[in-house]
Amino acid sequence: MDPARTPLGRMLLDEITPVVMVICTPLVEEACRRNGLSFVEMLSPFCSFSNIDVPVRTASDQPYRLQKFKLRLFYASDIRQPDVQVANERLKEVITQAGEKDLSNLSSDLPQVDELLSSSESEILPSWFEFFNKQLIRTMSFSDHEAFDHPVACLFVVSSKDEQPINRFVDLFHGDQLPSLLNDGAMDPKFLRLHLLVHDNQDGSPETATKFLNEMRSTLGSNSSQLLCINSSQGGLVEHLQNPWAPFKTDASPTQRLGCFLNIDDFNEIKNLMQDLASKHVIPYMEEKVRVLNQQVSATRKGFRNQIKNLWWRKGKEDTPDASNGPVYTYSSIESQIRVLGDYAFMLRDYELALSNYRLISTDYKLDKAWKRYAGVQEMMGLTYFLLDQSRKEAEYCMENAFNTYLKTGPTGHQNATRSGLWWVEMLKTRNQFKEAAGVYFRISGEEPLHSAVMLEQASYCYLLSKPPMLRKFGFHLILSGNQYKKSDQIKHAIRTYRRAISVLKGTTWRYIQDHLHFHIGQWYSFLGLYDFAVSHLMEVLSCGHQSKTTQEFFLKTFLQTIQKSGKACEVMRLPLPVINSSSLKVVFEDHRTYASSAAAGVRESIWQSLEEDIVPSLPTVRSNWLDVQSNFILKRNKDSNICIVGEAIKVAIEFQNPLQISIPLSDVSLMCELCARADDADSEANSSTAELQNNETTKLNADRFINSNESSFALSNVEFTLEGGGRKMVQLTVTPRVEGTFKIVGVKWKLSSSLVGFHNFVTSPVKKIQKGRKKNKQSPADNLKFVVVKPVPRLEGFIQSLPEKVYAGELQQLTLELNNKSDLSVKNLKMKISHPRFLNIGNQRNWNMDYPACLEKKTNGVEQTLLEQTSNLLQKVFLFPEETIVQGDTSFLWPLWLHAAVPGKVSLYIILYYEIENPESIIKYRTLRMLYNLEVFPSLDVSFQISACPSTLEEFLVRMDVANKTSSKNFQIHQLSSIGYQWEISLLQPTDSMYSSPTLLSGQAFSCYLMLKKRKRLDSSEGNGSLSLAVSDVPLSTEGGGRVMYDISLSQ
Amino acid sequence: MATTACFIIVSRNDIPIYEAEVGSAVKREDAAHLHQFILHAAQDIVQDLAWTTSAMFLKAIDRFNDLVVSVYVTAGHTRFMLLHDSRSDDGIKSFFQEVHELYIKIILNPLYLPGSRITSSHFDTKVRALARKYL
Repeated sequence: MDPARTPLGRMLLDEITPVVMVICTPLVEEACRRNGLSFVEMLSPFCSFSNIDVPVRTASDQPYRLQKFKLRLFYASDIRQPDVQVANERLKEVITQAGEKDLSNLSSDLPQVDELLSSSESEILPSWFEFFNKQLIRTMSFSDHEAFDHPVACLFVVSSKDEQPINRFVDLFHGDQLPSLLNDGAMDPKFLRLHLLVHDNQDGSPETATKFLNEMRSTLGSNSSQLLCINSSQGGLVEHLQNPWAPFKTDASPTQRLGCFLNIDDFNEIKNLMQDLASKHVIPYMEEKVRVLNQQVSATRKGFRNQIKNLWWRKGKEDTPDASNGPVYTYSSIESQIRVLGDYAFMLRDYELALSNYRLISTDYKLDKAWKRYAGVQEMMGLTYFLLDQSRKEAEYCMENAFNTYLKTGPTGHQNATRSGLWWVEMLKTRNQFKEAAGVYFRISGEEPLHSAVMLEQASYCYLLSKPPMLRKFGFHLILSGNQYKKSDQIKHAIRTYRRAISVLKGTTWRYIQDHLHFHIGQWYSFLGLYDFAVSHLMEVLSCGHQSKTTQEFFLKTFLQTIQKSGKACEVMRLPLPVINSSSLKVVFEDHRTYASSAAAGVRESIWQSLEEDIVPSLPTVRSNWLDVQSNFILKRNKDSNICIVGEAIKVAIEFQNPLQISIPLSDVSLMCELCARADDADSEANSSTAELQNNETTKLNADRFINSNESSFALSNVEFTLEGGGRKMVQLTVTPRVEGTFKIVGVKWKLSSSLVGFHNFVTSPVKKIQKGRKKNKQSPADNLKFVVVKPVPRLEGFIQSLPEKVYAGELQQLTLELNNKSDLSVKNLKMKISHPRFLNIGNQRNWNMDYPACLEKKTNGVEQTLLEQTSNLLQKVFLFPEETIVQGDTSFLWPLWLHAAVPGKVSLYIILYYEIENPESIIKYRTLRMLYNLEVFPSLDVSFQISACPSTLEEFLVRMDVANKTSSKNFQIHQLSSIGYQWEISLLQPTDSMYSSPTLLSGQAFSCYLMLKKRKRLDSSEGNGSLSLAVSDVPLSTEGGGRVMYDISLSQ
Repeated sequence: MATTACFIIVSRNDIPIYEAEVGSAVKREDAAHLHQFILHAAQDIVQDLAWTTSAMFLKAIDRFNDLVVSVYVTAGHTRFMLLHDSRSDDGIKSFFQEVHELYIKIILNPLYLPGSRITSSHFDTKVRALARKYL
C-alpha cells in the first residue's frame, strides 16, 4: 500500500505543509467580513491542490513533479504556540458536541457484540475521533524546535481603499504584528515576501485598483505583487451549492450564508491566485532554499574532515554545564539550518534528502543533550521512514524513541509526546498492529481526565479491531474511559462507553464487574433523568450478596432514591429482591378433601388415600348414565385444573429469601390472581370463554400487570414482614374466591420498602410442563394453579379438644371431638376412621354426661350388656355416626373419644371424617375432613411379673410383680391391679395395709409386691359362655383414694 | 508480603470459582471491582499465551499501572491468576505450585463438582497462609 494513501500518510500530507503568514490591514478584513468571512477563511478552501503539477528538482538535480500540494495560511498573530487553556476548551467543546449528537442513541437498545465484530472499522469508531485527534495535534503547532510550522512566505495584504497602499505595505512589514518566533531568533526573517492588493468591486471601478497595482509592481517588484478583486454587492447574490467554506468555519450556523456575494469570477480569481502563489512563488522558493542549504551543509558537515572536526568540537562542548533543554539554537546556527533543510525537503516530498539530514542532526542534538529537539527529529525520522516504506522496525524504533524522549523532557514535553504518540498509533494501525497501538494509546492517556478518556476509548477500539478481537480488554478500557468521561462531567459519553462495555461483558459471572457496570450506568441515567433505564440497571445490582454490608446498603439506598426521583409508582417485573424460591411453592386447596390443619395438608396424599379406601365411594359411581351430563362435562373439561369452592380459601406457601446482609422491609405481600366468572347455562359458551381466556392471558399480562381490578370477585390476604439479612421466610398467603368461574393464581407481588412493587410469576413455560409430566408422573406446582370454582357446599370443621402432645405410656384420657358446620346446608352419612385405633378410640355417648374418671367406676350390675356392644364396635374399623346426627348451625356437635397411650414412641394419628352432601345437584357429592395429630408417648411404668408354682398346692401360683418408674420427673400412684380371665383370680399375698404397698412411686423408683394367683372355682359354669372371657378380678393397691373405688378400663372402649 | 494482592481461580468456563484478597494493605471498597476488571481483561492475553508454552507458570503476562498479573494454567485449563505489586517471581511460582496441590485435593473430593465454586474454608485458610509465606 502506498504510504501516502494510508490515513497517516494523508494526515501528514495535510498537516506538514508550508505555512504562509498573512498580514493584512483592517480594511481588508472589513471587505471580507461583508461576506461573513475573514481573509484567511476566504482563501483557505483554495489552498489545497490535488493536481498542481509543478516540476521540482532535488538537490542533486533529479527532476520530479509535485502533484498534491497544500499551503497553510495563518495570520501573523496566530503564529505562536496556542494557549493550552484555550486549546483544552476547544477540545472539550468538540467532545461535548459529539455527546449531544449521541443522545438519541442512549435510549435505544443495547448494542450487540456480534454486530460490533461484523461491522467495519469506520462504522464502529465514532466519527469525531479523527477530528479530535487533528485538533489535538494542532494544539502542538508552532514550536521553536521544529521548522515545518515556520512560515515559508509572508503575504502582505492591503485594500484598495487604504490610503497610499504602497506605504501601507511598508508599514505592515515594519509593524509589530510579526510573531514572537521571529523576534526570538528561532525563525529565519528572510522569508519570501508577497504583496496582494484586495479590491472590492463595490467600492469603485477596477481602474483605481489596477493603477495601484502598477505602482506596487514598480516599487515592490513585479513578481511579488498581485491584485485580487472581490464582490460584496447585495445584487449579485449567489447561492453556492456546495459551500467550500463550511468545513473551515466551525462555529457557523447552517443558516448563515458564507461568501454569498462572491460570484463565479471571484471564485476563479481566488483559485488562480492561490495556484499561482504556490506554483510560481512558494515551491520555487523552497526548492531554491533547499539547494542553497544543502550546499551549505555539505560544505560544513559532510565529508570525513568535517565529521572529525564536528566530533572534536562537540566533545569539547560537553564539559560546559548545559541547560536542561540543551543550548539555544538560533536560525543561523548550522543545526537549525540542517533542520530547516530536512523539513523543507520533507514538505517537497524529497524524503531521502530529508532523512539524511534528520539523521545528521539527530546525533548532534543527542550529543548536545537537546532532548526536545532530538525527540522532534526522531519523530520526523520515524515519519520519513514510514513514508519511504523502508524499514518498519526503524520507523517504530524512532517513534518510540521520540515518544520516550519527549516524556523525559518534563511536563511541557507531554503534549508533544501525545502528538508523536498519535502518529505512532496511526503507523501501527496501518500495519494492523492494533494491540500495540492500544498500548500506545494507553500510554498517551495522561492525567487530564477528558483527554485520557478519549485516548482510552480509542485504545479500547484497537483491542476490538485486533485479530483475534480482545473483547475483555475492549470492555475494560471502555470502563476506564467511561470513568474518565464521568470525571470530566461528560456523562453522555460515559454512558455510551459503559453501554458498549455492557454489551461485551454481559453474561459474565464476574460479579463485581457486573455490579460496577450496572450501578454506575444506572446512576448516570438518573442524572440525565432517564429514570426507566436507571431503574432497570440499578435493579441488576440489588441482589448483591457478595458485596460488603455498607455497599449493599448504599446500593439499595440509591435504588430507592432513584425510584423516588422518578416519581412514578414503580411496578417492576422480576424484582430480584427478595429472592423467591419457586421450588418451595406449595398450594393447599380443598375440593372434596378438606383439612383440619396445615399439618394435615402437608401429609402425603397416598397415606390419606389408603385410609380413605373403605369409606369413600369408589370412582365408578361417579361415572353414571348420560343423564348426568353436567357433572361429567365439568370433570372432562377440568381434568387438568383443580376444583375449589366459593368462599373457601386457597392457601399458598412460598419462601422468600434475602440474599443481602441487611434486613429489608416487605409489605403488601399478596397473591396475584385472575378470576373469570363463568356463565352457568351455556356449556359451549363457557368452553369458548375459557379458551379465550387462555389467549387473552398473555396479552393481558403484558399490557397490565394488575388484573386484580375486579377485586370483589375474590379476597386476598396481605402480609407484612421484615426479612432479616440472609434470612428465609416461608410466607402463607391465602385467596378466597367469591364467585364461580375459572380461577388462576398468576403470581405473587410485594412492596419493597413501601415504595416499589415487585412481581413474580409462578407459571412456567407450558412446553417444559409437558416434558416434566411425561418424565415423572408428578404434578408440578404450576399445574396446581388453575382452579374451577364451584358452588358452595357445606364444609365441616373439626378438632379434638385438648388433645395433649405428650403423654405417658398407658395414660388414658377422655377427649371430645368437636364438629362444626358453618353453612346452611346439611350433611349426612357421617363416617369416621382412625389410623391407630389402639391409641385413639371412639367413645360411647352413653356415659357422656359423667365426669372422668367417674364414668369408669365399676358397677355392680349390667356389665355384660355393655361388653357386648363394645365388641361389635371394635370389630368395625369404620365408625358410623348415628343416622340422626345433625351437624349444622351454631351449635357444635360433640362426640367422646378415648386416648389410650398404648406403647411409647412417636405416633401420628390420622383421622378421616367422611360426610355426604344432601344437595343432589352439587358437583361434589361427598367430602372428607382430614385431621392429623402428632403424639409423643413417653415410657412410664415398667411392669414385669415372675410366676412360680406354689409349693404347697397345685391350684395356686405365687406372683411377683416388679414395677419401676421410668420417667425422669413424674411420680405415680398405683391404684389397682386387674387380671382378666375367668380361670384365675388374683389377690394380694398379704393385706394392702401392710408395709410394702407403696403409695407413690417417685421417678426412677422401683417397687415389688407379691401376689397370689388362685384358680377360680367353677361355681357357675352355666352362666353364659363368651362373656366370661372378660371376667375381671381387681386388687386395690393403694391405701389412699378413699372408698376403694375400682375402675374398669374396658369401659373406655 | 505484597501490599496488594488479589488471587482468583478461574474455571475453564471463565467463571471465577475462588476469590481472595490476600494483600496486607487495608482493603478498599472500590478495589474489588478494579482487581476483577484487570484480571478479567488479562484473560485475553492468557488465552493467547497458554497455548504457546508447555509451562504451567506463565509469569507476569499483563500489567496495569503498577499492578502485575501473573498466571498459572493447570492442565485442565483452570487458571490461577494473581494480581500483585511485588516482584518476587520465585515466590509467586512456589505459591502457585502449592495452591495447585491444594486445588487438586479439592478436585479429588467426590462431592466437589468440577467448575463449581470452591467454598471450602480449609482451602481458604491454606491459601491465605501460603500467600503470607510466599508473597
